[in-house]
Amino acid sequence: MIEPYNKLVKLAARAFYDDLTSKGDNQPKTGRSDNRGIAVVVLDALTRRQWVREEDLAKDLKLHTKQLRRTLRFFEEEKIITRDHRRETAKGAKIYSAAVAATADATTGKEGEEKVKLHTHSYCCLDYAQIYDVVRYRLHRMKHKLKDELENKNTIQQYICPNCGKRYTAFDAPRLLSRNGEDFDCESCDGKLDVESDKLAAQEGGDGDGDENARRRRREKLKDMLQKMEVQLKPLIDQLGRVKDLPVPEFGSLQAWEARASAAGRAANGDNAGDSKSHLGYNGAPMPYSGDTKVVVDFNGTEGKGEGVKSETDSTSLKVLPPWMITSGMNLTKEQRGEVKQETKMDGTSTSTAAQYTDEKKSTIGHDDKNIQDEYIKAYYAALLKKQHELEEAAKNPQDANAADDPSSSTSIRKVGDKYKREEDDDGTEWEEAPARADAPAEDDEDDIDWEEG
Amino acid sequence: MFFHIVLERNMQLHPRYFGRNLRDNLVSKLMKDVEGTCSGRHGFVVAVTGIENIGKGLIRDGTGFVTFPVKYQCVVFRPFKGEILEAVVTMVNKMGFFAEAGPVQIFVSNHLIPDDMEFQSGDMPNYTTSDGSVKIQKDSEVRLKIIGTRVDATEIFCIGTIKDDFLGVINDPTTV
Repeated sequence: MIEPYNKLVKLAARAFYDDLTSKGDNQPKTGRSDNRGIAVVVLDALTRRQWVREEDLAKDLKLHTKQLRRTLRFFEEEKIITRDHRRETAKGAKIYSAAVAATADATTGKEGEEKVKLHTHSYCCLDYAQIYDVVRYRLHRMKHKLKDELENKNTIQQYICPNCGKRYTAFDAPRLLSRNGEDFDCESCDGKLDVESDKLAAQEGGDGDGDENARRRRREKLKDMLQKMEVQLKPLIDQLGRVKDLPVPEFGSLQAWEARASAAGRAANGDNAGDSKSHLGYNGAPMPYSGDTKVVVDFNGTEGKGEGVKSETDSTSLKVLPPWMITSGMNLTKEQRGEVKQETKMDGTSTSTAAQYTDEKKSTIGHDDKNIQDEYIKAYYAALLKKQHELEEAAKNPQDANAADDPSSSTSIRKVGDKYKREEDDDGTEWEEAPARADAPAEDDEDDIDWEEG
Repeated sequence: MFFHIVLERNMQLHPRYFGRNLRDNLVSKLMKDVEGTCSGRHGFVVAVTGIENIGKGLIRDGTGFVTFPVKYQCVVFRPFKGEILEAVVTMVNKMGFFAEAGPVQIFVSNHLIPDDMEFQSGDMPNYTTSDGSVKIQKDSEVRLKIIGTRVDATEIFCIGTIKDDFLGVINDPTTV
């Protein structure tokens, strides 16, 4: 569920921040040391991490801490990331490292001194909810500005004080009138106000053709800009549309995330502790450990139903109805019963029925599968599908509408291997229920899942 | 734009005005209070045209004043964005010019003045075209379009433009 959001972040970074440099203003910018676009790299790195310590990020990206902080500060002001600054001892930092190890594959080794010095550690994380809003607002303002300028007549003049930088609009004009009536004075510092020209299309001075042509040229330029903007930003706008209805990935505050991640990691991996680390433990804090199994794998292991399947395989065809929706007497096509699965992208696996069910549950978990399980499942279902086709050809009876819930047939189906044997047993019987049996495997998958998840 | 609407107001009257002319006194007090004022919601009250209804008076505790709720009809003026008005120029400076259309003041900034008009300072500052054919100075009449209004509780102020077609000077005071 986080992938579309990550894509949005990447598109936005390349669209708007690709000329950002992390050098300070008074540093010499030579051709060799120009690092424009580093902001894109930083954002991309953040899409692959959750909460991350800034020093760690700097080390990973091989950037100077100061430059990274400057960039991160800029993003914080743009409201794209959230930061948290904590005063911690080195031990506290270890808890964070353990939490990271639970969710990512980082092997951090912070075996350090045991001094009780309190350093300020800074952490940062992408703020997806705000990113969505910020990007939309930015696009809206861009369009608005160009459209206003295009109309050319109805822009309200802005004034700025050169001394104190205070801004005024033309609405404040009567208040600002100076005593001699000649110009506008700033209210706080009495400096003469400057007109702020916000015209995007630069005024062309000295056009002999008269202002008709100049005006037309400006309009052309603005229309051109507007059009180019729409074309170049189209992928970003599309991604915004896709992301609109999805729930926002939420990591919570730093503490909450840390606690959750280390607890989950600990649960998934038992207590094979990283010993040296655990010895320096805090009292009462979760024991840090190092393990490279991820939380996500756990769910896959217990369900054992091929997570690798993309859960969106069948959105184009008729929806497969889960068994609890199939009541007797419903006139459903084979597809809806989840029987015929030809067009899956995954090479003849009929796991789409399973996928339909586990859709909501699994989609948050990423693609961290054990490959062996995957291969086995694929092979098994391929064989199953072949068997189904043979059965359907053999069965001459019309499809029985009451094919659906056949609890008796499901009771014996627990283990994955057993199904295959049952199929061979039912080959010869030509009962009314033969079609039911023929349908059974597919349904039983769903029943099976039903049972396990029930 | 002008509107003819019914407004309501609570008028407080001192007992010295009670008697035969109570109603007349009330009406004249209303007119004195309300005409010329401005509310953000309705605009400037130009004139009271009639009294619709005067409610029963309520004697205030502690003082002898009596409060009458009065419903009256009046003409109000409220400028709107996009409206086109004629106005009289009151002040010209290099940032633009101020004009008045009745009770409302309008400011036209110099970037909304056509580009061929240049500011000329002097004892009579003005805006003039390059060939001198059109001049905007104090007391000229201009037609302008309102592009924004700022409405406070008791004050309305507008920004205008003369850059569109058919806008600009109507009447040159020097030729009058």
